[in-house]
Amino acid sequence: MKAVIADDEELARRILREYLERDCADVVPEIEIAAECANGFEAVKACGECKPDVLFLDIQMPKLDGFEVLELIDPRIAVVFVTAFDRYAMRAFDAAAVDYLLKPFGVDRFRAALEKVARRVGETRPPSLPADLKNAARPAGEYLERIVVKDGTHVHVIPAGKLDYAEAQDDYVGLRSEGRMWLKPQTIASLEATLDPKRFVRVHRSYLVNVERLKRIESNTRDTWHAILADGARIPVSRGGYSRLNALIGG
Amino acid sequence: MHPIFQSWKVFLLYLAAWVPLGAILGLLISVAGLLTKTETAAIVAPVTVLLAFICLSPWYVCRGLPLRSTSAARLAGQHLLAAMVVAAGVLLAARLAASGFSTILPGLDRRFDAAAPVLTAMVAMIYLLSIAMHYVVIEAQTSRRSELLAREAQLRALKAQVNPHFLFNSLNSISALTASDAARAREMCIRLADFLRTSLRLGERASVPFREEMELTRMYLDVEQVRFGRRLRLHEDMEPACDECEVPALLIQPLVENAVKHGIALLDEGGEILLLARCVPQGLLFSIENPYDPAAPASRSGIGLANVRQRLEASYGNSAKLEVEASADVYRVTLFLPVKSLPMRAAS
Repeated sequence: MKAVIADDEELARRILREYLERDCADVVPEIEIAAECANGFEAVKACGECKPDVLFLDIQMPKLDGFEVLELIDPRIAVVFVTAFDRYAMRAFDAAAVDYLLKPFGVDRFRAALEKVARRVGETRPPSLPADLKNAARPAGEYLERIVVKDGTHVHVIPAGKLDYAEAQDDYVGLRSEGRMWLKPQTIASLEATLDPKRFVRVHRSYLVNVERLKRIESNTRDTWHAILADGARIPVSRGGYSRLNALIGG
Repeated sequence: MHPIFQSWKVFLLYLAAWVPLGAILGLLISVAGLLTKTETAAIVAPVTVLLAFICLSPWYVCRGLPLRSTSAARLAGQHLLAAMVVAAGVLLAARLAASGFSTILPGLDRRFDAAAPVLTAMVAMIYLLSIAMHYVVIEAQTSRRSELLAREAQLRALKAQVNPHFLFNSLNSISALTASDAARAREMCIRLADFLRTSLRLGERASVPFREEMELTRMYLDVEQVRFGRRLRLHEDMEPACDECEVPALLIQPLVENAVKHGIALLDEGGEILLLARCVPQGLLFSIENPYDPAAPASRSGIGLANVRQRLEASYGNSAKLEVEASADVYRVTLFLPVKSLPMRAAS
């Protein structure tokens, strides 16, 4: 079995290494630590290159945090969060992590996590929770301030303020930002649930619009409209979307 | 709303207290031989009930005229005027009662005039007494509230102080060191203990010399050094004259902790924290500069800074300053603390 460790603190990586290679070597035969990463970018890269079975993942790290890393890696990799913060447990549950280890943890606790991983090896992580549960998993008033997308082997970060609009495309969501379209395997509803509803409005079944980019609304026919954005993009607006926009802008 | 209405029990107790008061009032009038016992009761009973309610009104007047900020002449004038108005009103009511009861007790309305001066004087005195009582109650309330506020600030400071995640991460480092490097694990335990002990000790005081706050800050950084290794570097540029300046306890160390948590910890290569202290006329200038990742999601450090602002306001009013500047990749917090007694500069 192949494992990757991602933690920015050397000592935190050391204890995982010790537990894996020495204290719990009997749980999983032939465990191999394929890579040790000190930041989120490295973790995403290592997961792409080494194709590990399990990733031990810290949450607060330079470059990308643990949740962002999880979004960008192969869903077949079992993820065990390792953190000193207990307030992310709900989000970890939402992200379908195999386990959530609170620092500091003992050998027995680690062994239990590893046994869970061993039972789950090769299984695909279930898709994330429905949007309403996703909202419950997030502390009230806390929304994503940036969106991470994978561009080949690179990771691109889109600050929420620079996202013009998002468009549903089959199993993907297209993210329009700074003149480019980025694709991410995600539903538009789950994206909507993570963004601040005061800044992003679902104007149509397939469209989510950044209100700050909105220039004007053109009436099309009865019951349909077009939102014209600052860059000239024309986004269809449904009746429900029109009333949501009105409720937010109050015009 | 008057605090007496907050609970029925208190209100009933208050009304009960008026029974002996009314009795005394009646006794004074009947002892003077002005009225018979029955006549006294007929007048005094309604007057007492009326007074019980009127004597709650100073609550609003007293709060409008706080003892500290109102001149003695204005206080005396306003309250005496109010007492006169109240006395006149009560007298009028008493006279109405007298003429009402004169059908049962013939001649009461005529004899009442003789008792009027005593009654008026007593009512005015009782009303003035109730004003004094209200000032006592208001004063007690204010001092209790400011005590509560002070304790709350202390608790908040303590909470901000011993950040549990710092503790858990440090314990995790110790746990990692135990197998491979027992000596370093022990050293880290000792550093952590030193830091905790010192911060508890400083937390008991309102203000400490800058030197002691800096010692605590260094103990904190010693612990973090074990976690972050070469990623955490420190540069100090302190004027020795600042050492004895008094600063609020546990104000600076949490700011440095912010620099580590939101700056260094989120940088791959870490960076250098620059601490600068200068003695300037009227006070102490202190700044913390750290590199940070502008692309990292804005964190909750704003709450910590708001906390510091509140504490500064509580201890200095608006004469202390906290400024935050964020350039492309450097974050700087500058603190100005007015110092009442600056140490004499050596040799100058």
